[in-house]
Amino acid sequence: MNRLKNKPTLRVDTAQTISFTYKKKTFKGLKGDTIASALFANGIRIFSRSLKYHRPRGLYSMDGECSNTSMEVNGIPNVNTEKVLLENGMQLKAQNVKGSPELDIMGFMGSLDRAMPAGFYYRTMHKPARIWPMALKQIRKVAGLGRISPDFRMTGEYDEIYPSADVCVLGGGPAGMAAAAAAAESGLRVILLEARPRLGGFFDYRQSEFSPGVPLHQHARELEAHLQKMPNIRVFKHTSMVGAYSNNLITAFQKGDENDDFEERYLEIRAHSVVVATGCIERPLLFENNERPGVMQIACAHRLTNTYGILPGKRAVFSIAHDLGIEAAVDLFDAGLDIAAVADIRQDAPNESLVAELAQRKIPYLSGWLALSAHGSPFKKVVLTTLQGTFEKKFECDLLVASAGMTPVTGPLSMAQAELSFDHHTGFFLPRSLPAGLFAAGRIMGLNDPQAIEASGRIAGLSAAAASGKTSETALSATRATLAGRPKADRGNNLVMAPVKGRKTFICFDEDTTVKNIKQALSMGFDATELIKRFTAAGTGPGQGGIPGHNLPLLVAQHHTDTGTRTRPTTVRAPLVPTLMATYAGTNHDMSKQTPMHASQKQEGGIMRRIGVWNRARYFSDDLSCRREIENVRTNVGMLDATTLGKFRIYGPDALKALQRVYVGNMSKTPQGKIKYSAMCNEDGCIIDDGVVAQKGENDYYFTTSTARAGTTVEWIRFHTRYEGWDFNMVNLTDAFGVINLAGPRAREVLAAISDADISNEAFPFAAYREFTVNGSIPVRVMRLGFVGELSYELHVPSSWMETLWEALAEAGKPFGIANFGLEAQNVLRMEKGHLIIGSESEQRTTLHDVGLGGLWDRNKKGTDTVGVVALEQTEQQDKRLKLAGFKMKNTDKPPKDGSIVVDDRIRGHVCIARYSHVLQEVVGMALVEDPLNEIGHELHIYEDECQGQLVSATVVPMPFYDPKGERLRS
Amino acid sequence: MALTLTCPVCGKRNGYEFRYGGEDKGPKPDGFGLTPDAWCEYVHMNRCVAGIQKEWWCHKDGCGVWFTTHRDTLKNLEVEASS
Repeated sequence: MNRLKNKPTLRVDTAQTISFTYKKKTFKGLKGDTIASALFANGIRIFSRSLKYHRPRGLYSMDGECSNTSMEVNGIPNVNTEKVLLENGMQLKAQNVKGSPELDIMGFMGSLDRAMPAGFYYRTMHKPARIWPMALKQIRKVAGLGRISPDFRMTGEYDEIYPSADVCVLGGGPAGMAAAAAAAESGLRVILLEARPRLGGFFDYRQSEFSPGVPLHQHARELEAHLQKMPNIRVFKHTSMVGAYSNNLITAFQKGDENDDFEERYLEIRAHSVVVATGCIERPLLFENNERPGVMQIACAHRLTNTYGILPGKRAVFSIAHDLGIEAAVDLFDAGLDIAAVADIRQDAPNESLVAELAQRKIPYLSGWLALSAHGSPFKKVVLTTLQGTFEKKFECDLLVASAGMTPVTGPLSMAQAELSFDHHTGFFLPRSLPAGLFAAGRIMGLNDPQAIEASGRIAGLSAAAASGKTSETALSATRATLAGRPKADRGNNLVMAPVKGRKTFICFDEDTTVKNIKQALSMGFDATELIKRFTAAGTGPGQGGIPGHNLPLLVAQHHTDTGTRTRPTTVRAPLVPTLMATYAGTNHDMSKQTPMHASQKQEGGIMRRIGVWNRARYFSDDLSCRREIENVRTNVGMLDATTLGKFRIYGPDALKALQRVYVGNMSKTPQGKIKYSAMCNEDGCIIDDGVVAQKGENDYYFTTSTARAGTTVEWIRFHTRYEGWDFNMVNLTDAFGVINLAGPRAREVLAAISDADISNEAFPFAAYREFTVNGSIPVRVMRLGFVGELSYELHVPSSWMETLWEALAEAGKPFGIANFGLEAQNVLRMEKGHLIIGSESEQRTTLHDVGLGGLWDRNKKGTDTVGVVALEQTEQQDKRLKLAGFKMKNTDKPPKDGSIVVDDRIRGHVCIARYSHVLQEVVGMALVEDPLNEIGHELHIYEDECQGQLVSATVVPMPFYDPKGERLRS
Repeated sequence: MALTLTCPVCGKRNGYEFRYGGEDKGPKPDGFGLTPDAWCEYVHMNRCVAGIQKEWWCHKDGCGVWFTTHRDTLKNLEVEASS
């Protein structure tokens, strides 16, 4: 590996080598290398083959503007190797190659271009229609870049953060750094994003002087050091902006370095004002074979030499249109490159001192000349021509530095809704008007003088600070004076293309779109750039328009005869840079809640399942029918952890009014010591929740909701009382209280064993509410309910007491055969009793009437404006609604699956739940079926996946199935 | 989410923290005697203004308050009350 050493601009550490594998060989790169620079240093010139024609492709821009250097890295396809730093042990593989990149057996595709004109897919292989599917199959085989193995799994962490700032600066070049520093001087919080792994922009690798004795690269490092001293600036390097939205919301992707604990992360930055200082890229020069490996842009050659210490060739020709090109030629000559000629498109006054530098080095300078064609594979010859193509000169060389001039990186500006228009002086698309809080600075405005760039950055930073409330007029006017004293924007060059026909002149590398393709589209009548982009696919590849972005509108504009058409770049959309799906997916935090009994339930054999936001014990044995758990509740006593129930306190002078508003029952009829069961409906009369309310004191109520509604009940009640301004307060006690459902015929004996309170059936009857202490000191709120159809006590206890109470009950219950039961057992128990779970026996359209709970609605309740009653009135007599019906299966012990459909000549409903009942020794269930199928005695025909065409039948029977008179729960 | 909203209790916050509560239609008309059409008109029909409208929002991931604010539906930005 032959690297240039002792260059002050070097960003690689020649002492630290990194090894990686490519084509089964181990190569060495340096710390600080990108993958692409390390490959190039090892003599790799062809990185991939192109999408359509399998043309060899190599290093061209160094900033990821095309897919030329996309490779498979560690199994991940389409990694842009120009933008990813080299790491030890990386495994690289070339893409879109059969054989090797140097010898690709699909290379013959390049000669088939005549068979594949613009819009080839759209226009051919459609007649007759039946050949398209066959053609499709073949096209699919060859189309697309990169392959991923179906069993490939991403490793590493992918994170997301949501920082906020007063000023967000996009671009860490000289203008961006100056803007960040200026905005931060007033104490504002500043975020600076830089897409490259290091700050400095186009100062970073240049040796010319910023001020006498201070080269640009040194000044850039001084600026960076200045930023580092300011604690209110947060710098994100290796972070590409991907979107800009209203309210100055900026999104970005950051690549982690070795010290970060993430591979990539997503940033969503909320800023008061934004400075866009994204600078320029080069506009590719269009000539025959303009993408041949060996042809590269100015900055690519310049950065290879100065940043990575790699001389990009032995003998070079330059075809440029910007002073930066002459500067690079001088620099590279001094570094040891032989330069045959420098052709400059411009005929008028480039920087004379630079031209003199060329003359000093005896490098021929051809003004008004440009590259016409590149020849040889590998590249070995270039033909230069005059602007009109009158004369030609041939040069032997292995490097052609080609560029049609600079063009601003306008993506962020146009995404932020800035209006761009073409400026004939600079040849740039410049912002005509900027939205509030958005500022642009630096090269993006056409400036080229280093001090002018820095001053414009400062102005933008100060203006952004002013927009964020920190005005410093004196600093602003002083900087404006500095800028006025510096050279204005350079005159640019509008030329796009050498005088060629364009058959092998590529305007878009990613999609293999040639100038000829554009001409074909134009001749077919496409005249809008947007349409030509879509028809020819130019700019739709991974480079996101980096290569054709500004050439395409300029090329198309030459064919516009209509002077009214505005030339503008095609619309850019987020994401501005491609990234990994893993970054989009993010960390996928799975957050769930555990009850205080979680650990002990698990220890006691609970099989936990995620239910809503909770982890709950669903089974307590491998027998998923839960026979033992169920039978124990029916004969002895069981304990269920029901902590997930929503629990609330509502109090205040207007608390009752609020309850009356949302509950369909009359909540004023709740004497203290009693509980009232009721339901909530939405405006459509559809049931959304059921629960019980107990009055604890004057204007003070305790109520429960279903588990699913625990999170939204406070919001719901506040929403439906939002106009009244009533005086009441709510506290969500769901997590503050644990709940134990102690159920079974022996429940009373268990509770009596640890409590002195009188809990006889007379003193504490069904539907009563009591507060007392157990075991002397544990305060419990006890409700006598019967969800599972047995004598049961629901004990509500502060969460901190939960385990103590549980253990006390378990101990006291031993003589009575107490055992855990889980959610599934409860599900069967309550179903046998005909009790509902909202969401299981109801769906979105199910009204209170449909599930047979119409009786809960108190029609005589006046003036409460209860949510849903208008609809309850209107839907009560509607026919053909889906009604809840209990059924038992005929001739089978096997229950149909939940969700199986009920059919006759069409679908009439579905099974909500069906289980084998060990108590009843038959299969019973509940279904929502179309009225009048719900009438008792009706036969239901049920279809399920495994019935093999044989419908199973059930008969509608009255509910509840178990203990219809309700004697057990009142006993 | 680009939207920010100003909670009367917590101040200007990220739009992710809020739940939309619909256009401000005023209090519900008296339920009794409402025709199905009139009820549907109130509950389900919206004006869908292309421009500035007054609407309800709940600071669900914050203080929980329901409040009204004005939003420009074309730009999805909170704005001062329309003059």
